[in-house]
Amino acid sequence: MSTARIGENLNRRDAEDKLRGRTQFTIDHFPRRTLHAALKRADVAAGRITAIDISAALALKGVRAIIFADDAPGIEGIGVYDRRLFASDYIRYYGEPIAAVAAESLNIAREAADLIKVTVEPLQPVVTMREALEPDARLVHPAWASYAQTEPGTRGRNVAWEASVVRGDTDAAFAREDVTVVESSFTVGRQNQAYMEPRVCVAEFKDGRYTLETSTQVPWSVRKVTAEILEVPESAVRVTVPAVGGAFGGKFETAVEPFAALLAKKTGRPVRIANTRQEEMLTAPARDNAEIKIRSAIDPDGRIVGREATVLMDAGAYSGETGFLTSMTSYTLGGVYELESVRLVSQAIYTNTPPTGAFRSCNGAYNSFALERHTQEICRTIGMDLMEFKKLNVVRDGSPSAIGQRNDGNILGPLLDRIDALSAASATSRRHTVVDGRLPDGRLFGEATVVGGWFVFVGPSASTVNLNPDGSVTVITSGVEIGSGSMMQSIPQIVSHTLGVDVSAVNVLAADTDASGYDVGVGGGRTTVSLGGASTAACEEVKKKMLAVAADYLEAAVEDLEFVDGAATVKGAPGIRMTVAKIAAHAQTTTGPLSGSGSFNKRGTVRASGCVAGHMVDGLEMPIYAAHNCEIAVDPDTGHIEVLAYRTVQDVGKAINPKAINGQIQGGIIQGLGYAIHEEITIADDGRIEQEGFETYRLPLATDSLPVEIELFEDAPSYGPFGVKGAGEIPIMSVGAAVACALASATGKDVQQLPLTPPRVQRILSNTEEPLSLEHISSDWRDNVLANASELEAEVLGAANLKLR
Amino acid sequence: MILKVSVNDDDYVLDISPSRSLAEVLREDIGLTGTKLACGEGFCGSCTVLLNGTPAASCLVPAAATGGRKVETVESLAPDDSDLSDLQQALLIEDAVQCGMCFPGILMTLTALLKENPAPTETAIRSALVANTCRCTGYERIVDAVLALANKEQA
Ligand code: FES
Ligand code: FES
Repeated sequence: MSTARIGENLNRRDAEDKLRGRTQFTIDHFPRRTLHAALKRADVAAGRITAIDISAALALKGVRAIIFADDAPGIEGIGVYDRRLFASDYIRYYGEPIAAVAAESLNIAREAADLIKVTVEPLQPVVTMREALEPDARLVHPAWASYAQTEPGTRGRNVAWEASVVRGDTDAAFAREDVTVVESSFTVGRQNQAYMEPRVCVAEFKDGRYTLETSTQVPWSVRKVTAEILEVPESAVRVTVPAVGGAFGGKFETAVEPFAALLAKKTGRPVRIANTRQEEMLTAPARDNAEIKIRSAIDPDGRIVGREATVLMDAGAYSGETGFLTSMTSYTLGGVYELESVRLVSQAIYTNTPPTGAFRSCNGAYNSFALERHTQEICRTIGMDLMEFKKLNVVRDGSPSAIGQRNDGNILGPLLDRIDALSAASATSRRHTVVDGRLPDGRLFGEATVVGGWFVFVGPSASTVNLNPDGSVTVITSGVEIGSGSMMQSIPQIVSHTLGVDVSAVNVLAADTDASGYDVGVGGGRTTVSLGGASTAACEEVKKKMLAVAADYLEAAVEDLEFVDGAATVKGAPGIRMTVAKIAAHAQTTTGPLSGSGSFNKRGTVRASGCVAGHMVDGLEMPIYAAHNCEIAVDPDTGHIEVLAYRTVQDVGKAINPKAINGQIQGGIIQGLGYAIHEEITIADDGRIEQEGFETYRLPLATDSLPVEIELFEDAPSYGPFGVKGAGEIPIMSVGAAVACALASATGKDVQQLPLTPPRVQRILSNTEEPLSLEHISSDWRDNVLANASELEAEVLGAANLKLR
Repeated sequence: MILKVSVNDDDYVLDISPSRSLAEVLREDIGLTGTKLACGEGFCGSCTVLLNGTPAASCLVPAAATGGRKVETVESLAPDDSDLSDLQQALLIEDAVQCGMCFPGILMTLTALLKENPAPTETAIRSALVANTCRCTGYERIVDAVLALANKEQA
């Protein structure tokens, strides 16, 4: 019998079945008599639908049902209710669903979808954010003003959502005579999550309810959104989730589920819908492409006295997650360095392109790139050592963040010291072989150290723990195992440790909204924190009940009992004890079975009053940081970047399972290298994504990867169980920054774009890369803000002027 | 059409439409869902099986073309309740698995590699793995697991 320890490298319990090929993902589920569904998708990016003719499709043998806009009247949205299941009047992106078919076989369903005739009056698509922001731009949503929104916030025309921060007086800072002003512009492309299991759902309609088995990160939000679209009560929808074959944020939204639900009801049969890889490449909610202008005023000591930034995020055709994510800029751009005064604005822009969404670290992956490249430009301009600048300016205990929250604990300073030491001592370094900036083989050598900040998206979670008569326990939550190990590794470890039962005696029920309480979903590094916290609380309740049972049986007072090695033991008399299994069995015949329930939520944080507008998240609840260092070689002829060494020191709070965390870091950083170097999505003038599969979308392979040198930084403050913070989200965050800064240091050139594909690097080296000016973003921050800038400022001037230190 | 094929040493006689891929037939008709189908276009390797001992992307192989050939899938590596193969065991010990979607294919590629060369070099391992995409792990633990086996072989 062994109880798990916190900090123990336990292996995950789902690995063996996954290696045997036994694990059943949703994609492996083919119920008897299932119908297959296929979507009719738009083949233009913009247009007005004038007629839909389904007669030929309906006549096809084996077709059981066809649905379109009239069948799904509901409207959904995260911040703005701007989306219906099917295009009804307007087509807004290439690939937008217009109709769905259920048929006896997938081939018949696809053939029928092809036979549906859609008459479209094409419109000139609005493809780029620059076009979308032109004063006479066609509106992607002509009726935008009539849409409901869930939070107060500014939007208008092709600006789907705006979030801003105003703290302190940047005008005064930039007007100071002793400051140096540095301005930089950046742009990045999209990144496809490329989870291996496509979005897939099997739906059934029985007992008057919809049962959806689906590959998602967010069972409860699938329940809610499906109900909204179908205009039925939420309780009419049950969502279950088996193992999920990768997600990375791309399954944080409802996707194919409502189609399957509607078709299941209409046909009375199970309906299975699965995206093809091409559909995933064309319509997955990719990390958005973005444009960033950032301007700073630096005083003679190298302190940042003023900073203004504008971030344009391409939402695509609907606001969705990207609208929600506009708030994140305050943390990812404004949470790392101390800023005496700051103004930030992020806008989600409507374009006639597929809607973008959440992807691991979300806008942090590019805001960190912009921030660290800008920092490098500042140091070049003022002639200051980068490390010295960073150590001087990183947030420390008590520093206010951009939104005026006080930072808790010194983390970034020590992280910089640790990464310095790690990189200095590293046996993999090639720096000592460099002569005149070149490696012995003639390639250019570059190195960079960068920092990044994110936060754990804590939010509400519920957990129930049942103590079974044999002493085993069952943990019931809506947590989903997406591959990160939080449900199959961390939660059993936490529960085993807390209850003192063998880790193999802890079973975790697959997510089921009928069985468990509410949960926000798996993402934002929150699972181990929130579901871990809820499960710990549930275990504490079970323990309390166990003590009462043991006290009765041992004829001792509850106060005289304590838990030692998985048994209730009389203090001072270790021989008098009752094991958990015995308590469980005894309870069965006396009090009845024991169980406990627990919940967890964010604590709520204090931010300076009046300084934010349009924020859909409350605050920087549980900040988390990482420092990265990399060494690269650049082939001056081909522009090919080889990563020679990669190192990180990551703040994890407390490492429940260091080996599992290292696996997350290794995987996240390699994904980041894909983002930094070769994962490129381009959008043609007609609004179509040009990479339709893995042949043209270049994912990292085993010949691209390298072992990351990892150190975990523990004991930073956290109110998570055992002091844990989420570890899976942040590893990808600073990789684009690290590679770009290393390239800038290798070449002495300005690096303004990601990904750094060989052709782009060649252009940078030969000075033929167009310098990026982003003229549609003004250097005067006020011009970029949709809300009334002086009203935003007036509010904050009333708020207390924050002292930095 | 009628297809006679041997899968994991079992003989099957199936009535299939000639357009279907081996991956589809394995997964949907025979019920061997260990073989995955993540791209359907020959680039990810999640559908890798052994065809007469050689790794092949079963999404690109018409089932009709496998008549009389010997197909081995991930389920053949440790059938029923038998012990994991050395390779599976090595991956288990390294805690290599995350979402697990790529592993059935990776296992078949590496099983073939190790059969041919029980002690491959790191470069050989990485080159073999180029046929298999893993989006989760960043590969290194997979490489380490095979290297551990190779070292055992040499010792
Ligand atoms: S599914 Fe066959 S190679 Fe991807
Ligand atoms: S473990 Fe998820 S794709 Fe490899």
